[in-house]
Amino acid sequence: MSSVSHELKDTSVASSKWLDAHYDPVANLYTFSSCIALSDLHGDGENKLVVGDLGTGVCNVKLKVYRGTGVLSESTLLDLPTGLVSFLMDLHEPRTPAIAVASGPFIYVYKNLRPYFKFTLPSLEVNPLEQDVWSQAKEDMIDPMTLKEMLEGLRDKAEIPLSVRSLRFLMLEPQEMENFVLLHKEQPIRRQTVITCIGMLKKNMADEDAVSCLVIGTENGDVYILDPEAFTILYKMSLPSSPTLMDVTGQFDVEFRITVACRNGNIYILRRDSPKPKYCIELSSHPVGLVRMGKNVVVGCTHETLHGYTQKGKKLWTAYLPAPVTAMALMDLPTRGFQAVLVGLANCEVHMYRDKNLISTIKTPDVVTSICFGRYGREDGTLIMTTKGGGLIVKILKRTAVFDDRDSAPGPPIAQSIRLNVPKKTKLYVDQTLRERENAVAMHRAFQMDLSRLRLAAARAYVKALESSLTPMSASLTEPLKMNAVVQGLGPSFKLTLNIQNTASCRPVMNLAISFLYDENLYSMRTAFFKIPLLVPGLNYPIDTFVECLSDKGISDIIKVFVLREGKSAPLLTAHINMPVSEGLALN
Amino acid sequence: MKTDVQLPAATDLKKPRPKKAPELPILERRNWLIHLHYIRKDYETCKAIIKEQLHETQGMCEYAVYVQALIMRLEGKIQQSLELFQSCAILNPKSSDNLKQVARSLFLLGKHKAAIEVYNEAARLNQKDWEISHNLGVCYIYTKDFRSAEEQLNLALQLNKHDLTYMMLGKIHLLQGDTEKAIDVYKSAVEYVSIHNLTFKHTCFILYTMLLGKYQKAFEHLGNALTYDPNNFKAILAAGSMMQTHGDYDVAMNKYRVAAYSVPESPPLWNNIGMCFFGKKKYVAAISCLKRANYLSPFDWKILYNLGLVHLTMQQYASAFHFLSAAINLRPRMSELYMLLAVALTNLDDADNARRSYEQAVQLDESNLLVNLNFAVFLYNQGDKKAALLQFQEMERKVNTQVDSNINTEFDPELVEMAQKLGAALQAGENLYWSKPGKDSKSSQRSSSSKPSSSQQPLGTNQALGQAMSSAAGYSKSMQITAGAEPLSPSTSCHLHRSVHPNLQSQIFRCLFEWCIILM
Repeated sequence: MSSVSHELKDTSVASSKWLDAHYDPVANLYTFSSCIALSDLHGDGENKLVVGDLGTGVCNVKLKVYRGTGVLSESTLLDLPTGLVSFLMDLHEPRTPAIAVASGPFIYVYKNLRPYFKFTLPSLEVNPLEQDVWSQAKEDMIDPMTLKEMLEGLRDKAEIPLSVRSLRFLMLEPQEMENFVLLHKEQPIRRQTVITCIGMLKKNMADEDAVSCLVIGTENGDVYILDPEAFTILYKMSLPSSPTLMDVTGQFDVEFRITVACRNGNIYILRRDSPKPKYCIELSSHPVGLVRMGKNVVVGCTHETLHGYTQKGKKLWTAYLPAPVTAMALMDLPTRGFQAVLVGLANCEVHMYRDKNLISTIKTPDVVTSICFGRYGREDGTLIMTTKGGGLIVKILKRTAVFDDRDSAPGPPIAQSIRLNVPKKTKLYVDQTLRERENAVAMHRAFQMDLSRLRLAAARAYVKALESSLTPMSASLTEPLKMNAVVQGLGPSFKLTLNIQNTASCRPVMNLAISFLYDENLYSMRTAFFKIPLLVPGLNYPIDTFVECLSDKGISDIIKVFVLREGKSAPLLTAHINMPVSEGLALN
Repeated sequence: MKTDVQLPAATDLKKPRPKKAPELPILERRNWLIHLHYIRKDYETCKAIIKEQLHETQGMCEYAVYVQALIMRLEGKIQQSLELFQSCAILNPKSSDNLKQVARSLFLLGKHKAAIEVYNEAARLNQKDWEISHNLGVCYIYTKDFRSAEEQLNLALQLNKHDLTYMMLGKIHLLQGDTEKAIDVYKSAVEYVSIHNLTFKHTCFILYTMLLGKYQKAFEHLGNALTYDPNNFKAILAAGSMMQTHGDYDVAMNKYRVAAYSVPESPPLWNNIGMCFFGKKKYVAAISCLKRANYLSPFDWKILYNLGLVHLTMQQYASAFHFLSAAINLRPRMSELYMLLAVALTNLDDADNARRSYEQAVQLDESNLLVNLNFAVFLYNQGDKKAALLQFQEMERKVNTQVDSNINTEFDPELVEMAQKLGAALQAGENLYWSKPGKDSKSSQRSSSSKPSSSQQPLGTNQALGQAMSSAAGYSKSMQITAGAEPLSPSTSCHLHRSVHPNLQSQIFRCLFEWCIILM
């Protein structure tokens, strides 16, 4: 009880720190933290919300711009956006930022919400052998089948993977190959990769409105830094795995640091002076969110943990979360000198951490999938979240809100004061205890005596069962059989199914017969004796027969089933079937 | 996406000689999205995207197959996931990651030998992978090849000093009964593991100190661990049982309340709570709690042992008999169980079986004085002075070896008194350790006075037992040393201690086992 009240108090305090500015549960947004940005798109001092919406995941992919509570503009994207940043690309006045949307192998740059430039990733090195094979195909020196064999050989051995064209070709049915070769052979072979994450890096000044370079990570593990105006590649670095999340700090011309979380579960730290990662953090589970706070990096992992690392990869702390992480973002209020990490959790909460201390909790109506904190409209402390159901939540931080820089759950655990639920004993139990104390010897002897009797009775019954073959398994070694019986029907006619199985490993059983014994006044059977076919080991043989109940007095009896062997009087198996009472009236 | 797939074919039909071939979609283009959903544990969406992607690429997208296999494994379809991982390994035979996953699935299926082979293959592709070496080590543990396991785990430690590797290595040494090496491992774990990983550090330190027998230090660290994580069930149980050992029942109960809130159905917890009540002489509550523990874990011999003990104390001998014989069925090689059974049988007037049970106990026993003493008293009461003398001498021998090797120099006063009484009655025992330092002649006088009234003697059997059980504090030192020396097979000298203590140990082993489950 006290824990509940504690929580209630906690949330009421937390909710009083935020104003609920806007909540649209049907905004229909499917997006991630990487596809959200706040930007002063028109240079009018009013920040808009730019969202790369994945639509249904197939179609309806859109770049949406929100102003206030409504959509300002929508433009269709060709493919799913992987990331989106707002950056200043030149020094021209008015200083309006451009939006870069990464999608597939391209970056689409929008200025004033109009398409401005399309950057394509440089193509990767193509296997020279593959090139040879295709040029032979081009000159019709080899037929498609040979081409296929050669490409397959290449795929299994080559250091450089095959291009999409070859891989597609290998998927085709033989009759489609001819056309495919005809169609594609004139084109040069290209091998392309896709962008997996995008970030930005100030070019040469640390100012808020400095010109920024784009930093992109690709599927094959490369990181490129692009010139902001010409979109040429300024610098290339490579990673051991595909990057998934990225954080960039510093300036390109001075010194920078790129922290990249990769798909192999490691975090790599890249620096200006080396094309290879400088430091590596091996995590025990996959990173879901990566946020830099001051000089430290905060990582949320799939194992419901939050870790803090220095920028050299040294672990500082670990906090345990109550649910899996779904989204993370930095909350930065430079005017107040306040920084915290917002962590969206799968239990419909957003936790605010400062180092390892949980300083506040926000309850949300749905699971949050993306978080963005910053200036929206003219309000500095705005928290924007989208939910799994497609909702959009906008909250504004109250100017009076104060966060204690202290863990909100200290002190002894509340559970310490909860009474133990010790099972109660009744007076009867106590009386019986007293009785046992007085008569322990007699009780013990009586018990031992009864136990011996029970054992004797059990042994007798067992011997009897063995002697009369009443067990469900036959005891004979030559005919190991198993039988069970099922009665179906309400009466007066019943269906009796006998399942017989030969449990021997390889030997079939032959020459068996079944006979029934029953009260002929009560029941009648069409055939009370029949032969069983040869029993193959392991198979189950259901044998059906029909029984008619003759009495309408609601009485029932036992039907005995004997499995017999030809030329032997003692049955192999006996089953007693307790017939149910016939519920229907016998037809006259 | 579907239109993408059909795009080439459609254009084929319409214009047979197009100048420009259609752009072919890149196979890996949705990998990031699959990954994004996978790590957010949104498996339903993830599976839908994978299905679409596999349809588009006709199963050639390696990463989609890989994640599908991972999800299947999480759903418990290990065999299917193994097949998918194998097809990943065919798509990309150069990746050690695929092989690692194949091996992991084999491991989960219990095919440890096959897993070792695949891991070795993966190790050829990637020499310096901590994970491969570590998992190889774990596989070797399951195939009982401890030497290779040790080798691989040490290799893993050279590559990366991970907490899990230390735990497994320590566990191997404990399994082999090599306590000293285990201590070394934990010691180096304490030194190397970064100061920030406090929980692990504490676990290691606690194990380390407990193995050394420094319970006080271990206790301090448990306290530290509890301040960092006050709801840690394992730490609470361990700390509580230590407090209990020192007779601090109320504080222990406070701790147990926290534990009972978070894990209300833990058999060791209810066992310890029960023994707390027993220590506070609330026998009915003790029986209630122990019975709950027994209900939750019917095949735990320690709970049955304690139930037997409490019922003996309550003079419910018939019930005690049942619990003890159940415990013996589960653990047939424990001398104390036979001794308690013999006590119960004595009180149930079944002298023949009591004697047999004592004989079994003596045969199995190594260092427990009480077994011999109780047997001697029983024999004396039965009138078999000769046999009683033999048992008494056996006890003397044990006392002397314990004193000589300095294992134990303090004995429980009740035990001493009982032994003196019996010694006087048998006209033996003058050369016993405790009779040497001129222990006042009063006791011998008293024993001589008790001799004629032999009717008191049968009571004595119980008294010695009961008193020994209740006087916990006097034994703490002896218990610590013996327990420290043999952590794997606890054979301590006093019932209460053992009844409380094994749970502490079992708790530690439980920790170990849980660690290894995380590994799996």
